[in-house]
Amino acid sequence: MNTWGDFENVQPIVAKMLENSIKKNRISHAYLFQGPKGTGKKESSFLLAKSFFCKYLEGFNPCNECRDCKRIESGNHPDVHPIQPDGQSIKKEQITHLQKEFTYTGMESNQKVYIIEHADTMTANAANQLLKFLEEPKRSTMAILLTENGQSILNTIRSRCQTMSFKALNTKQLESRLVASGISEPISKFSAALTNDFEEAERISQDDWFAKGRTIVIKLIQVLMEGNDEAFLFLHNDWLPHFKDKDQSQIGLDLLLIWYRDYVSYLIERKDTIIYIDEKEKFEKYTFSLSRDQATKALKKILEAKNKLKANVNPTLVMEELVLQIQR
Amino acid sequence: MSSRFPTKGRIIFHVDMNSFYASVEAAYNPDLKGKPLAIAGNPEVRKGIIVTSSYEARAKGVKTTMPLWQAKDLCPELIVMRPNFDRYREASKNMFEMLAEVTPYIQPVSIDEGYMDITECADLGTPFEIAENIQKRIKNELDLPCSIGIAPNKFLAKMASDMKKPMGITVLRKRELATKLWPLPIDEMYGVGGKTAEKLRNINIETIGDLAKYDVYHLKSILGINGERLQNRANGYDPRPVDPDAVSLFKSIGNSQTLPYDTTDEREITKLLRSLSEKVAERMKRKTVVSENIQVMIRYHDRKTITRSHQLHDYVEFSEDIFNIASELFFSNWNGKAIRLLGVTAQQLTEKEEMTKQLDLFTYENEAKNENLYKVVDDLSEKYGKDVFKKSVTHEGNHSVSTSFQKDFLDDFKRD
Amino acid sequence: MKFNVQRNQLMESVQDVMKAISSKTAIPILSGMKIDVTEEGVKLTGSDSDISIESFVPAEEEGIVYVENIEPGSIVLQAKYFPEIVRKLPEQTVEIESDEQFNVTIRSGSAEFNLNGQDAQEYPQLPKLHTENSFELSVDLLKDLIRQTVFAVSTSETRPILTGVNMSIKDQKLQFVATDSHRLAGRSIPLEDSANKELFSNIVIPGKSLNELNKILDDTQEKIEISVTENQILFRTKHLNFLSRLLDGNYPETSRLIPEQSKTNVMIDSKELLHSIDRASLLAKESRNNVVKLTTKENTSIEISSNSPEVGKVFEEVTADTIEGEELKISFSAKYMMDALKAINSEKVNISFTGAMRPFIIKPAEHEDEILQLILPVRTY
Repeated sequence: MNTWGDFENVQPIVAKMLENSIKKNRISHAYLFQGPKGTGKKESSFLLAKSFFCKYLEGFNPCNECRDCKRIESGNHPDVHPIQPDGQSIKKEQITHLQKEFTYTGMESNQKVYIIEHADTMTANAANQLLKFLEEPKRSTMAILLTENGQSILNTIRSRCQTMSFKALNTKQLESRLVASGISEPISKFSAALTNDFEEAERISQDDWFAKGRTIVIKLIQVLMEGNDEAFLFLHNDWLPHFKDKDQSQIGLDLLLIWYRDYVSYLIERKDTIIYIDEKEKFEKYTFSLSRDQATKALKKILEAKNKLKANVNPTLVMEELVLQIQR
Repeated sequence: MSSRFPTKGRIIFHVDMNSFYASVEAAYNPDLKGKPLAIAGNPEVRKGIIVTSSYEARAKGVKTTMPLWQAKDLCPELIVMRPNFDRYREASKNMFEMLAEVTPYIQPVSIDEGYMDITECADLGTPFEIAENIQKRIKNELDLPCSIGIAPNKFLAKMASDMKKPMGITVLRKRELATKLWPLPIDEMYGVGGKTAEKLRNINIETIGDLAKYDVYHLKSILGINGERLQNRANGYDPRPVDPDAVSLFKSIGNSQTLPYDTTDEREITKLLRSLSEKVAERMKRKTVVSENIQVMIRYHDRKTITRSHQLHDYVEFSEDIFNIASELFFSNWNGKAIRLLGVTAQQLTEKEEMTKQLDLFTYENEAKNENLYKVVDDLSEKYGKDVFKKSVTHEGNHSVSTSFQKDFLDDFKRD
Repeated sequence: MKFNVQRNQLMESVQDVMKAISSKTAIPILSGMKIDVTEEGVKLTGSDSDISIESFVPAEEEGIVYVENIEPGSIVLQAKYFPEIVRKLPEQTVEIESDEQFNVTIRSGSAEFNLNGQDAQEYPQLPKLHTENSFELSVDLLKDLIRQTVFAVSTSETRPILTGVNMSIKDQKLQFVATDSHRLAGRSIPLEDSANKELFSNIVIPGKSLNELNKILDDTQEKIEISVTENQILFRTKHLNFLSRLLDGNYPETSRLIPEQSKTNVMIDSKELLHSIDRASLLAKESRNNVVKLTTKENTSIEISSNSPEVGKVFEEVTADTIEGEELKISFSAKYMMDALKAINSEKVNISFTGAMRPFIIKPAEHEDEILQLILPVRTY
């Protein structure tokens, strides 16, 4: 996430508010970014730091090219101080370091940014020291506190910060965040369909198991569509060795479900909701052999299979039955 | 005002509970009254040792520290019980609370005895009347017997309380030493242990009277400085004051209190911190000490307890300062969970007399403006001794004084 | 980037800048050493962010060539290995080269090291000296200024600004002041060439930085150039730049706290007083705060005493040259007094008291205006 435009896709309200303060040169001395995990708090705090330091702003967007931007990204900016909890909470040495920073001038200028992650894990003592600092805001200093537990931030601290509430991401936002972080569109869509937690989605995107699972699902469809009775063989040779236990089988069925749903979406011209976007050619090809009714029936059967799995029916049996039901 | 109150000198009580553990058990279970009763460490084991026994048992020859089997031999009908320390603590606390209603100048010595200075209690009656009232109250309300010694100092009071047991009240005046104290054998003198008594008998000191008249240099050569001290006492001289904080040995002065209910209410907590700070300051004032380290104890609802202290660069003595430090300490260490008990302790105490204060460039004017006043005090101290100023310091505002005892069984005994 | 350099010169520079590099730094790039090569020579930089040291190896000086085959450029090398490598190279000359991917090759004779470097763009940008706002001192005078004041900085973080030395320029005078609020040390010197410049007026330099600087500088008559930017101070000698960040905030106004009148004035032999206080403090150490008492006596003598309840008492009479004004009895920290007398380092001192509860001032009997040591007394009760 390198521009406010990217960020707007994810957190439109917060983005607008921050953009406005940058535009009007009214950046606050202390921000509290609160919201669930994976909603872009850290990325936007770095973005804000860049906009604060970058001398080549394009509008309110940092250039991402200059020394300041690059070093904020790499963690080498001497006047940007990110603090992450070391273990369970932010440690005394970290606060001592911060405290010292508070009393020194900056290294390159008098402009400084402090980014404190998981600010709720600060000990009361540390919080109090921070408080003292927030009480005497220096002109060109900015502190950004990040937390997933807004309610555990002391009121005395909260009242000194401008609070920004980050909303949980919907699938579309998650998808665009994934794309923004460099993941291909088909995989982003796929991951976003499986979870709504950004970090989880990021993990799925990079997990070979999921990638392979996706390939196996596509293969199974192909086998089913060709109708040459090799489905059973494929099931035992490829599907079952990959989707081993009950939980993995559920994921396999989810992937299958998404494919059929996509197919139906394709038929009813709601192409924007399609997850398997790289399958569009096949959808086109199958239009003649797989009717909408058949696809709907398949969806129904997959859902039934999922329920059976839930009821502890043996995964192999469930899959064999399903394959028989939806084979052409 | 009673003419029996001496115009100078002090009036000291020594209150001694009679066979305390056994008496508490008898008060708890009246069936035991009048019966030979012994409290033993472990009644099941014949080798258990007698901790204490009732007068009925003592009459049969049962003594403290005697093995159980021997006691049973002497007194076959002896009832033996395990100690119930919770009961004794409770009884002790109640007893000291009653004493504290008479005067704040109480010095608990152990769970069942203590000194009181009633010099300033003339409005409550003659010393004997006061003693009678105390004894009656303890008997009526707690069903416990005690003996009280009345004398001009702690040593004589202690000796006096021993003279008549149980339920005795004995006055020991200085002019009665020759008749009441001196005839007593030397080993009955408080402060003379087995070894000392032996040494004294070796130089033909058999009675307290012998000790009183013995050559002090000779005595010192045998017992050192303690020899002189013992002789002074035998002559009725004992300058030790009744000291409510004696047990704490000057190391620290602290008060703690359980909240009526577990709370996270900051106002409630602040209120308690303030009142604890006030109590600590009060006691510090009475001892004329100042502190350089304030400690706060936090006990949470789950009994998890932490203490945190703050080292100061300056002395504190006033409740406002103690409170400020204590609350800062508290709020920077509180994890936000419900609190059951709070304590405030002043540590690293220094006698005001020995204290020095490094002045500060930015604040010295506060001190310097009183320079002339300090100089007058200084000059007068040099001329007349420091006591000129001490008295007023010691006695102001001691109406609400609470007392303390380090042993936890008296911790609760801190009046609010 | 490419250059050949004399190993000894490189080694000296490496050792200089290593003094500023710390293994535990919050900024990853600072665990490295920056090398900048230009036609003028090689510049090495090390920093722990508080202080930074730049050291130069000139391409040529007084006809001797130190650096040659120069292809300008910059790189950052891991400071952990570089000094040892340079030390152990076999030949007198060293060739250092880096490519676009920040791979660094160090060659000397038949030895060749390949190290991974980092982009110099990642390294902090340090301020450069601007002659229009700089001034000059001799190195030994600067060392005096530091030595006579820095001991009085506060070691407590309760008032962070007091952990620094206040440097100010006013009326063509350069002044250093330090106080931990219990004593104050000040030294000022005339600054002739300051008249036409736009110099800073008032900054606070961390005491720690000045102690470091004092250690690095040798006692010489050579000049050192000082320049102040909004966030750093730069000290420049011939081949070395020493930079320090500043303390942020306003230093308290101390001049008005210094008493102008006095009630008792003592002129006394500095060494004699120092030794007698040293002796008295032997016992005072046992009691709190190391407190000794000074009492004026008849016949121009003063009594130094201390009393430690557990150990005993010590009295000593010292004859003063002159005593003027009111009688006085005052207690103070022996340590502060000894620190002050040592810093003044003059045969005779004048001590001006304004009362037992007020700060007193110690000055050398000569050059009165330059050095001022002030001590707050101790109140006894």
